[in-house]
This record gives sequence, structure tokens and C-alpha cells, in this order.
Amino acid sequence: MKNLLLGLLLLGLVGLVGCGGRTLYVYNWTYYIPDEVVKQFEQKFMCKVVYDVYSSNEEMFAKLKAGGRGYDVVFPSGDFVKIMIHEGMLEKFEKSKLTNVKYLDPRILEKITFDKGNLYSVPYMAGTAGIAVNKKCVKDYDHSSSIFDRSDLKGRMTLLDDMREVLGMALKSLGYSVNSTDPSELEQAKAVALRWKKNILKFDAESFAKGFAAGEYWVVQGYAENVFLELDEEQRKSVDFFIPKEGTTMYIDSMVILKNAPHVDLAYEFINFVHEPEVYAKIADYLQLPAINTGAVSFIKRPPHYRIEDLDKCQLKEDLGQGVIQFNQAWESIRM
Amino acid sequence: MSPQKRGLFTWTMVLVTLAFFYLPLLLLTFFSFNHSKSMVWEGASFRWYAALFLHSPDLWASFGKSIMIALSASLVATLIGSLGAIGLYWYAFKSKRVITVLTLLPLLLPEIIMGVSFLIFFSKIGLPLGLFSIFIAHTTFCIPYVFLIMTARLDEFDYSVIEAAYDLGAQEWVVLTNVILPICRPAIMASLLMSATLSLEDFVITFFVAGPGSTTLPLYIYSMIRFGVSPVINALSVVLIVGTAIIAVLTSRLFKYVIQK
Amino acid sequence: MKSRSGYAYIAPLSLWMGLLLLAPIGIILSYSFLKRGLYGGVSNQITLEAYQQLWSPLYAKVFLNTLLLSGIATVIMILMAIPTAYFMARSKRKTLWLFLIIIPFWTNFLIRIYAWIAILGNNGIVNQCLLRVGWIDQPLRLLYNPLSVILVLVYTYLPFAILPLFSTIEKFDFSLLEAARDLGATRFQAFYKVLIPAIKSGIFSALLFCFIPAFGQYAVPALVGDSRSYMMGNIIARELTITRNWPLSAAISTLLTLATLFALMVFVIQGSRPARVKPIE
Repeated sequence: MKNLLLGLLLLGLVGLVGCGGRTLYVYNWTYYIPDEVVKQFEQKFMCKVVYDVYSSNEEMFAKLKAGGRGYDVVFPSGDFVKIMIHEGMLEKFEKSKLTNVKYLDPRILEKITFDKGNLYSVPYMAGTAGIAVNKKCVKDYDHSSSIFDRSDLKGRMTLLDDMREVLGMALKSLGYSVNSTDPSELEQAKAVALRWKKNILKFDAESFAKGFAAGEYWVVQGYAENVFLELDEEQRKSVDFFIPKEGTTMYIDSMVILKNAPHVDLAYEFINFVHEPEVYAKIADYLQLPAINTGAVSFIKRPPHYRIEDLDKCQLKEDLGQGVIQFNQAWESIRM
Repeated sequence: MSPQKRGLFTWTMVLVTLAFFYLPLLLLTFFSFNHSKSMVWEGASFRWYAALFLHSPDLWASFGKSIMIALSASLVATLIGSLGAIGLYWYAFKSKRVITVLTLLPLLLPEIIMGVSFLIFFSKIGLPLGLFSIFIAHTTFCIPYVFLIMTARLDEFDYSVIEAAYDLGAQEWVVLTNVILPICRPAIMASLLMSATLSLEDFVITFFVAGPGSTTLPLYIYSMIRFGVSPVINALSVVLIVGTAIIAVLTSRLFKYVIQK
Repeated sequence: MKSRSGYAYIAPLSLWMGLLLLAPIGIILSYSFLKRGLYGGVSNQITLEAYQQLWSPLYAKVFLNTLLLSGIATVIMILMAIPTAYFMARSKRKTLWLFLIIIPFWTNFLIRIYAWIAILGNNGIVNQCLLRVGWIDQPLRLLYNPLSVILVLVYTYLPFAILPLFSTIEKFDFSLLEAARDLGATRFQAFYKVLIPAIKSGIFSALLFCFIPAFGQYAVPALVGDSRSYMMGNIIARELTITRNWPLSAAISTLLTLATLFALMVFVIQGSRPARVKPIE
């Protein structure tokens, strides 16, 4: 029995090391690229894609920082792109290999502050944490973050368990920058968040979409792709997803190649492939997020949950540098 | 041993415990046949089973890796932990306390810290990350559990039995296999099951020590959080439970020898 | 000869732990005395900053809260586990029972917690049943409070209490209980005065297996706690990933580990049994 198991273990190890041919190692969220697209890439380039997964930017970064390696393409959000550039973790692009970047929507490119000129990163998706409302249970409401001030919805609402999203929305509701580390502005934002805290059931970043789909929560702060993937067509009719009119944070998830990536050439092919208009349209249809690839727009079949223009009132989350300490102090006193 | 001897209270507690353990599973089984994605009943359907068996190669691959690691880590941890517990229990060493403390440390350290420090360590010594590094980490955090279960079993044990065996001229090896191991059988069984469970469940440490291409089942499931955990996982859980039950019944004869004296 | 085989028993354990654990422990310890790197990691500058940051009233509050929740959960687990383990140990079909107890836990943790949410939620089956029977007219708030955190903690770690207790009770001589009853003890007295002392090392293991992981939990409060639920595990994980203050999370871990070790040593010294240890000849 034991020999058999050790044999199996060895076999597995050999299998991992020895699979010949070209292999690309992608590190990403589960479901962030439809399987179909990955398969298509494998066929077109006669290679194998090993798709590994993480559940948050922070975890991915901690892992790579502590020495995790072996991946080629990773999908960090903008603020993490900046950190990873700063830490020297990313490969600088040879732009000539990325012919499809010409399709990138200038409206998104001009928002990019974390990597001006896209020397290290190519945007993949842009989106925001908005507010989803169950219209069956909540009738009249404003498209505003002040919905969290309504005590009649007490115990039926959740905010993300994420300091950037909650404090960012609070800062924006006061008219400040989502990246502000000014003590007095943060203090005011903290007061807003504490006011919201009285009415919410919990801070939830893990199961808000499930709870929302089950009718447990009526109003949730969260990501559209997350909320809607839990819902069937029928249920979607009674859901309103909006971006608060005061604005809130937004993210641009980007594709990067890690320094010392074992398969740089294939990584370039992959990034370029994703931005082929027809391929990108498939991805955007699958996630129902706004297409940031101008060539893809004509191939889109399903309407996105919001449009690129809706993101205009949102502000990109940026790396806070030392400011993370102030942010964290404000958040800890809300959360603990 | 008639049931009466075990008393009404014991029976009630056992039933409460079982109900407590199995209620979520019943519900999960029920919803694995639900057509809807959410936990709202919308009619029976096999769509998640179809998805599981027809369109989920990644899921099965990660499942296979988890099983492989759980089996190998639990076997090795039980072997090392049991021998160590027996050795430390019956022989006096100067370094006894040091070894005990060292053995218990993986239990005491917060798992995320363990995960990161293992990763730093592995990358410093150049150990490639993958199934092997996961196996090493899992074995390490299972050992203290095995060690304590075995120590508890050996505690209060009548040493004169072993003394008697030696007096009758038994060799060290014979004493181990014919006297000590039979005494420890239930503890070995408990250790194996516990280690396998710990290994199958672990997310945090595995996340850090996993390498390219070694996504285990918990890593796969947790990473779904952002886009919603698919009910395919419910279907997989049901298949896993039914599969384990069948294997358990088929091999119950084998296990009878392992556990009953 | 005997002494050599003694070393043979502990050699694999000492080697494994020595080779694979000493270095990571060293890393944790040394990081706790270094200056934080802005983006995680550490810079080579010795400082006590991390240990100074520890003394915050917020952390003390979270610490006490965690102690309370995991303490209550552990007591409930032990109380539930002893009768169950006793029952299993006296059963003729021990293997069957062992599997029955452990199989539910081979289903992923997150999935089982989602099942609990579906059971206890506002629209969950418990509330649906109570509403239909007419005992309540408003759904009860069964989830998202400290009690549901305790419930799920108990659920998560109960088998870890049952297994060591089972393997300890299994060797107990049950005729002692009958003897105690014959001498006039009530069933409870027999249990309390005869069984419990005989299985105390099993109880001790069970306590460790439940309390320590429960104390470090961070997923449970996040999933079924309310807006105030926050445990030590959350702080450690946050400092490591979100605020990227690695020295601080190393320092918290070091202190927690030392505290538990200290408590353990006190216990081990009290319960030490030098008489039974066979000296090496």
C-alpha cells in the first residue's frame, strides 16, 4: 500500500516535470478567463497552459514576495502592478511583440497612473465595486452610497471587508480622493463608515454574492461579475446594480510577465492573443464587463453590467505607499 | 455490551453530534440536485453532475492532487509521529523536552505564518515548489497531532507488559510489532484519519508552498470566491462522500484487523 | 542495545523537525526584530518596533474577545466529545463509527459553511420550518452573531476532540465503572471520579487540538460573524497580506506561541511522570 502511494507520488512529480513541449504557467483568479479561450490558445500555439489560481491580490503578492516562482503571466490589479514594478518583479515589455495593444480603449489608457505608457502591464479588465439592490425587497432608493445610511434596511446590507473599498467609497461620498491619506479627510471618512456600520449586517468579502442570491442580503457592496455569476437569468431581472453617483473606487486588472519567467515568448503570445478582438469579445461576454478593446466592441453579444462611461465618476485605486499605515489605523478602529 | 449500559444521555449526545455533523451534508446533497445556482430550490436537475463529469478536468486534477498529498502526508506523518511518541515515551533522553516542544510547534504557530516562513525557507534552500513541497509542509503540520494522539494513548499504560515481554526474551522488533503496535492500533487509526482530514482541508499553508501546476482542491475552491463558488463543488462533495462510503464498506474487513484486537 | 533502539524511534522525528522546522522558526523570530519593508518582507535593520506596535488597546480587546469565543467553543466541544467518544469506544463497530465521524469533514470547509448559512439564514430551513409551524412570525436572527461563530467553530473542530478522546477511552477498563457503581456511586459520579481522571491526557490533547486552531481562525468570523467579529487570526493575516507589516505579524505569532508553550510547560511539569519513564541503560 505504502509503496503504491509513494509510486503514485513519484509518478505525479515526474508527470509535472516531464511533460514535454511548451507550457505556459498562468497565475490568475478562477473563472477569470473562460476555458474556451484557454483551449483555443493551446490549440493555436501547440502548447499546454497550466492555470493556477489565487483568491486575492494581497495573497498573490505575499506569495511572490516570499519567493514563490515559476509563473509566467499574472493578473494583478493596478495598485499591485505599481508595487511589483517598484519591487523589480516585472519584465519590461518589448512593445513590438504586442501588436494587439493598438486596440486598447484610450479612455481606459488615459486613466492609468500605475504604469504610464504600459511599459510593464497590459490592461485586461476595468471594473468597480458598485452596489447591488434586490428590487423585490427595496422599492425606492437613490443611486447613492447614502443607501447605507438607511436604518430601515438595518441588518439587510453588507459592505465589503476591504479597507480600500469601504473607505474609498466613504472618501468619495465626501468629495475627496479615494487615495487620500490626509488625516482629517480620513477621519471624516472614518466617521461615515462608522455610521454605515450601524446599519449593515456585516463586512463581507467572501459570501456576499451567495447571501444576496439567497435573499439574505438586500443591498450589498460588491463586484458586478461576482454578484451576477451567482444569479440565474430570472433572478437577474429583480436586481439593480449601480455605481453610486458620488463615485467610488475602480480597478484595472492587468496582465504582466514576471521577471525570470520561464516562458517569456509564450507569455507574449498569450497576452497578445487575449487582445485579439474576437477572443477579447468572448471574454467580455463571459464576464459581462465593459470591453476595453475597441476592436472587440462589434463582436460583443451580451450587454455588460455597466459601460466604460459609467466608470468616469470612479477613481482608480492607487498604491498608498507609506499612507497604508494611516489607512490601516482608520480601518482597524472601524473593524475592531 | 448492550445499549442500555451506555445510558440515555450518551445516546442523546451521540445522536445530537451525528445530526450536527450530517445536517449540512444532507442539505448540500439536496442542493446538488437543484437547478438554480443559488440555495433557492428551483426544481430537480442533474446539471451540476453533468458539469462535474463532463466539463471539469481542472477540478478533477486538483482533486487527484489533494488525495495524493493527503494519503502520502498522513502515512508519513503517522509513521514518524508514532515512532517518535513511542520513543519519547519509553526512553529517557536528555533532549526529551526540546524534541517535544519542537514537535508541538507546528500546532502552536498560526498557519499563515507557518505558510509564509515555509515558503521563505524553501525558496532560500532552492527546493522547487510543487507537490513535494506541499507534501513536506502537510507532513510537518500533521506530526504534532499524531504525536499527541499517540502520547495520550500510551499515557497511563502499564509498562510491566513490555517489561514482561523483554523478560521472556523478546527482541526489540518483536516487542514493537507484537506488543506496542497492537496497543496503539486505535490511536494509529485516529492519527491517520485526522492527518488525512487536516491535509485535505488545508488552504492557507498549501497556498504558500504550492508551485506552478500544483493547485489542490481547497486552493481551487477558495479561488472561486471572487466569482462565486460553483455548485459543481456540491456535486463533487456528494460523489466524494458516496465514494468514501463505498470504499469504507469494501475495505471494512481489512480495517477490522487494523483496529480490533 | 535498548538505548540504541530508543534513538532509532526518535531519529526520524528529530531529524524531520530539526531539519524542516528550525529554519522557519528562526525566520519568524528574526523577522520579528527587523524593520518592515514597505511592500512586505523586511529590511536589514534591527528594531523593536514590532513589539512596540503590539501594545495597542485594540489588540488587547481582540485578544480577549478571541479568548472568550474560542474558550467557550472548546468547552462545548469537550462536553460533546466525551460522551460521543465513550459511545464509540464501547461500540462493537469502532471502525464504522470512526468513519461516520470523520467523513463529513472530507467535504471542503467553505462548502460546509455555506450549507450552515443555508440552514440558519433568514430564509434558511430552520426559520422556514418555524414560520410554517407558526411559532414565530418574524425570522429569527440565527446567523451573523457571536453565537453562530461559536456554533461553527464547534462544528469545525469537534472531530478533532473526538478522535484523541476515542483512542484514549478505548483502552479504559470499563469494569472499573461498574465497580464504582457497585460501591454506590451514581452514574455521573462514576464517570466524573473514575473515567475522567483516567483519560485526562486524552482530554488534554483534545483541548489543544480544538483551542489552538480555533484561536487562530479567521475564516469563520469572516463568514458567519457580524460587523464586530474580529479575531486574532484576522489581525495576523491582515498584517501579513494587506498592511504588509511582516515583522508585526511575526511578533504577534512569536508572543502567542510563547504564551501557549508556557501554559503547556506548566501543564507538563504538573503532570510529569518520571517514575514511568524507562531510563536508558
